[in-house]
Amino acid sequence: MSTTATMAKTGKATTVRKTFSRTTSVSTEINADPAIIWSLLTKASDASRWNSTVLSIEGNIALGETIILKSPLSPERKFKLKVKEFEKEKKLVWGDGMGTRIFTLTKNSNGTTTFKMTEKIEGPVFPLFAKMIPSFDESFDRFASDLKKEAETIMNSK
Amino acid sequence: MIPSSECLFLLNMTVELLNREFESNIGQLRSYLLRITASVADAEDIAQDTYLKAVEKINTFRGDSSLKTWFFTIASNLAKDNLRAQKRWVENVTDITKAAALSNKQFFQEAMNIRTTSPHGQFEAKEHIAFCFTCISKSLPLEQQLCIFLKEVYEFKINEITTILDTTEAMVKYYLHTGRGKMINIFEGRCALINKEGVCHQCSELNGIFNPKQNTQVELMKIDLVKEAEKGEKEHLFDLRMQIMREIDPFKSKASELQLHHLEHNRQVMEKYLEKKPD
Repeated sequence: MSTTATMAKTGKATTVRKTFSRTTSVSTEINADPAIIWSLLTKASDASRWNSTVLSIEGNIALGETIILKSPLSPERKFKLKVKEFEKEKKLVWGDGMGTRIFTLTKNSNGTTTFKMTEKIEGPVFPLFAKMIPSFDESFDRFASDLKKEAETIMNSK
Repeated sequence: MIPSSECLFLLNMTVELLNREFESNIGQLRSYLLRITASVADAEDIAQDTYLKAVEKINTFRGDSSLKTWFFTIASNLAKDNLRAQKRWVENVTDITKAAALSNKQFFQEAMNIRTTSPHGQFEAKEHIAFCFTCISKSLPLEQQLCIFLKEVYEFKINEITTILDTTEAMVKYYLHTGRGKMINIFEGRCALINKEGVCHQCSELNGIFNPKQNTQVELMKIDLVKEAEKGEKEHLFDLRMQIMREIDPFKSKASELQLHHLEHNRQVMEKYLEKKPD
């Protein structure tokens, strides 16, 4: 079984550490239409309602826009992130000088949607900061689980 | 090919049917339009334009939906054109408009005059609850506001709402879920009828002003929403609030003239407020 397929079943994050980078990924199968998942991912003001890994997102999640994200991992910091790719219901990418987060949605033939989220932190100075950057694994697990729960609740509503 | 006289006959029959159906739905349509626009003039204009457009487009009606759904589709499209050009209201609309009302003697004099002279000038907390929902719902994104009214108040099914708003079932479900969630949170934080810590007491305050001889607490306890509040079931309380909305025709109720006067005041205050507010 491939690594991706395992992640899709478990929704557990994995991290690959290298000298100049660290990549954390999570993937989960969600029984909901991609439109619902996409709306949840891209409505900034609504994010903290369903996503326990986000304190707030200010700004408009759209191509070329800059958003300000506050995370419980570093509540005192404001992450200023630029939206670099925005392909409706398929792919969203945001990031700053050091890290890039990629969200992808893949519609499956059985009506489910595979959600995948990857964040790569890299750069020549990465080794200097590596120890100060907390692990994302637990946060990624919760993000995927929160998203799955909320999207499926909406999908199953009458 | 159908002979033209027969075609005309069929068309006449359809216009007659359309007129009958429009007449039986005009009450709900006007109520819906008033609640989404918060403007009597806009609601009346759009209702009229809906009829004209329906007559004009009668040949395009294929019977894929009910005529009621079709009327609401036309009306929603006309209203959306109008509403997209306007800024959305804010969650604390009732604080802003209350402050403006307190410094507006004329508003209160007119309201008292309506209260004492109009057969539709009674004050009832239930009516104010519906009025308040109308105002606060204008702080939701437009699609969420429309979906909530269509589903919870005018009782359309999800597949009918997809037709009315020309969107997918998934998105209707998303708008309903998020809209409901936001409104539940707003009322939980603000409404003293359901939360003792709530900051808004306007139902009680206005009942004291307009019905000074009543015991306000006794009156409020006659409302299911208030009676059930202690159980704290937020979703259920929201459903009870929606039940109040369904029971009240904002144009014909015993309090309609007083509430419409109040709504017009709020609309004017919010227009001025939003003009100054940066995007």
